[in-house]
Amino acid sequence: MANGSEVLIEENIIVGSTVSGSSRPRTYSMADQLFKNVTRFFAFLVLLLMAAIIVSLFMGALPAIRKFGIGFIGSATWNPVTNVFGGLVPIVGTLVTSTIALLIAVPVSFGIAMFLTEMCPARLKRPLGTTIELLAGIPSIIYGMWGLFVFAPVFSQHAEPWIDAHLGRLPLIGLFFSGPPIGIGIMTAGLILSIMVIPFIAAVIRDVFEVVPPLLKESAYGLGATTWEVTRYIVLPYARVGVVGGIMLGLGRAIGETMAVTFVIGNSHSLHASLLMPGNSIASTLANEFTEAVGRIYTASLIELGLFLFIITFIVLALAKLLLIRLSRMEGKRS
Amino acid sequence: MTTQPKPKIVVRDLDFYYGQTRALKNITMDIPEFHVTAFIGPSGCGKSTLIRTFNKIYKIYPHQRASGQIILDGVDILAEDSDLNRLRARVGMVFQQPTPFPMSIYDNIAFGVKLYEKLDRSGMDERVEWALHKAALWDEVKDVLRRSGYSLSGGQQQRLCIARAIAVKPEVLLLDEPASALDPISTARIENLVIELKKDYTIVIVTHNMQQAARISDYTAYMYLGELIEFAGTELIFTRPSRKETEDYITGKFG
Amino acid sequence: MKKAKMELISIQGRRRLMNTLTQAGAMLTVAFGLFWLCWILLTLLRNGLPGMSLKLFTELTPPPGSPGGIANAIVGTFLIVMLATLIGTPVGILAGTYMAEYGQTGWLAPITGFVNDILLSAPSIVLGLFIYEIYVVLVGHFSGIAGSFALGLLVIPVVVRTTENMLKMVPNRLREAAAALGTPQWKIITMITLRASRAGIITGILLAVARISGETAPLLFTALNNMFWSKLTQPTANLPVMIFDYAMSPYKDWHDLAWAGALLITLGVLGLNILARSIFKQKPLGR
Repeated sequence: MANGSEVLIEENIIVGSTVSGSSRPRTYSMADQLFKNVTRFFAFLVLLLMAAIIVSLFMGALPAIRKFGIGFIGSATWNPVTNVFGGLVPIVGTLVTSTIALLIAVPVSFGIAMFLTEMCPARLKRPLGTTIELLAGIPSIIYGMWGLFVFAPVFSQHAEPWIDAHLGRLPLIGLFFSGPPIGIGIMTAGLILSIMVIPFIAAVIRDVFEVVPPLLKESAYGLGATTWEVTRYIVLPYARVGVVGGIMLGLGRAIGETMAVTFVIGNSHSLHASLLMPGNSIASTLANEFTEAVGRIYTASLIELGLFLFIITFIVLALAKLLLIRLSRMEGKRS
Repeated sequence: MTTQPKPKIVVRDLDFYYGQTRALKNITMDIPEFHVTAFIGPSGCGKSTLIRTFNKIYKIYPHQRASGQIILDGVDILAEDSDLNRLRARVGMVFQQPTPFPMSIYDNIAFGVKLYEKLDRSGMDERVEWALHKAALWDEVKDVLRRSGYSLSGGQQQRLCIARAIAVKPEVLLLDEPASALDPISTARIENLVIELKKDYTIVIVTHNMQQAARISDYTAYMYLGELIEFAGTELIFTRPSRKETEDYITGKFG
Repeated sequence: MKKAKMELISIQGRRRLMNTLTQAGAMLTVAFGLFWLCWILLTLLRNGLPGMSLKLFTELTPPPGSPGGIANAIVGTFLIVMLATLIGTPVGILAGTYMAEYGQTGWLAPITGFVNDILLSAPSIVLGLFIYEIYVVLVGHFSGIAGSFALGLLVIPVVVRTTENMLKMVPNRLREAAAALGTPQWKIITMITLRASRAGIITGILLAVARISGETAPLLFTALNNMFWSKLTQPTANLPVMIFDYAMSPYKDWHDLAWAGALLITLGVLGLNILARSIFKQKPLGR
């Protein structure tokens, strides 16, 4: 082994004492502990807030849960006069509007991201990208107002009669597309939502497309691959975890969105198959009725809706996380 | 062996683990005071790991641990209740890449001093100037002390980090490949600095550059796969290594 | 031989066609997205600009049929948002610091991270409902403070996430260098790592402020609205709820005020976004 170890000074070791021989002042371990515990407390506070939200919503909803039980989800009745409430219409409305929004927004966002990363002339890249990011910041109430005052009249005059006359006549799916041209309704709410979430999803997808290593793309282009093939077979697989995350972010936004929907959904508690008919979402029901609700059961029913909204977003997020974990596991296996 | 100088750091049966991986195996050596000791060896041999135990910087990471004894001036620093911060104030360290703090050049140096000493303004000014002189940086920065540390060039940043380490007046200075990210001129400056500094400090330097070890160190340790293969006077190691592995590495037959 | 060549050409042709079609599609989607957004912004400008006058900033919200401004709503929004930021920011920074600096071991950081993600995407109206349940009901009336609590709940997860991410981007060698001087951990964090990530954290806070400035839903059951000047302990006028109430009303002059308010708040939010971006660009992290 090493030489130079003749000098044994083990007898001088003072095991377990602090480093000696210094005039340096006191240790900092007290302050360190204090600081750590303060930050730990606030991290814990975040947990506590979440628990408090769930408990308080549950307590608030309890009278309605006791009275209507599990039937609350399946019932389309919403009658403040007789004090009988069911959440089917707003729950379905929330799910349907969000689905419409994603069906439109995902392909559009994908196209925008593909344009921005693979096709856009360099001079336009920055301004266009920044525009998209800034548009994601526009308050949702603006979308709602525009939807009510500008989009709905145009939609009812020019689009809805056509939809009713053509799609509405088709067998089976006609059921979903027939109805009077009133401009507001589930379809309008879904469209406005999609316009609202496009910048969100597009910005995220663009971000994850941008971090694909240029070398990877260049070697594909070098083999003679087209822009589409590079995007489809190189960029998308590489970035799919981020893409899924972006879509889920958009879905979360759409599900919980209040203002963009409340203006244009029509606030009707009757269940229709047709997307042209007015309906309700959980958020719009709360926005419209909560401050005016009288009576314990009415209020509790509204809070129960809020609880469901929270649970739905929770499920979406949990599914997204699971999917992301599975995707990254598959990646681990492949490599 | 010729006359053995007084050891500053005594290492006995040191093992080191990254989680389950054993990175150092049974290291025993004495680091002599007021000399330059160099650790050489191929990458992954454990030389950086070893130097990082001398100020217990590995303690920042939860899954790294060391066992055995590292005795600094007669006290085992691996004992659980030893004060990390005071230890590190006595055993300074400079890293591979320059790491200026996000503050002015002046504050970069004053920062460490303020932790353990109460100096008045002029005292601090003096200390900063002294440290910058020692690190051979004063002439280049004396007019821009208020500028951000990031405004300096790479070589200057590294000398700033050395000045910062010296300013707290440590007893031992650990240098972990301090010149590997620098140009030849900055490297030469830092090498001269190391030779200059050994009058006052015990210096341990990790390097993958054998010429550098030969130029500046008094003792050299050759490490391989977590083991200390050979440790002796630098001249001896480079002229008459006693182990075949050391000879292979030094003559370039290896790695 | 010839057949094989023909096939090759047709494959090439199909590939080229596919590429042309998808590229055209991508351009169409950009046009589609920009079309709506331009339409919305133009509408906002056309309806909001006529309302821009000094009166808007000096007079109270009027009853229908009489002239007035939205001064109380502007000031109310400003106060509510400021208080919400003061509530949410410290909580967010400290919790985020724990997660980045102490979170490598133990159960708290991963769970808080997951819960924070839920809070981040929690519907804002539910947060309003929560504050209504635990605060408004308790106090017995709506108030601007309740509104600030609800908006503060929106600030927290954003700041937690940015603080955590920014701190994790600080290279470990900076922590090592500070520790090697004998710096205690709390000073490493407060004076080195938080400082190195300052620009990013400020950007995060500004983006959070921008987000809550336009939020309507959490204020509906908390701050409510007010036609007059009021303290934050009373129902407080604020732009988003004012816009909602006035836009949903049947009165033309109220619609005009709502559009003016909408333009104002959009400009404010966009301004904050641009400010946040410019701060982060100026001072990139580390070097």
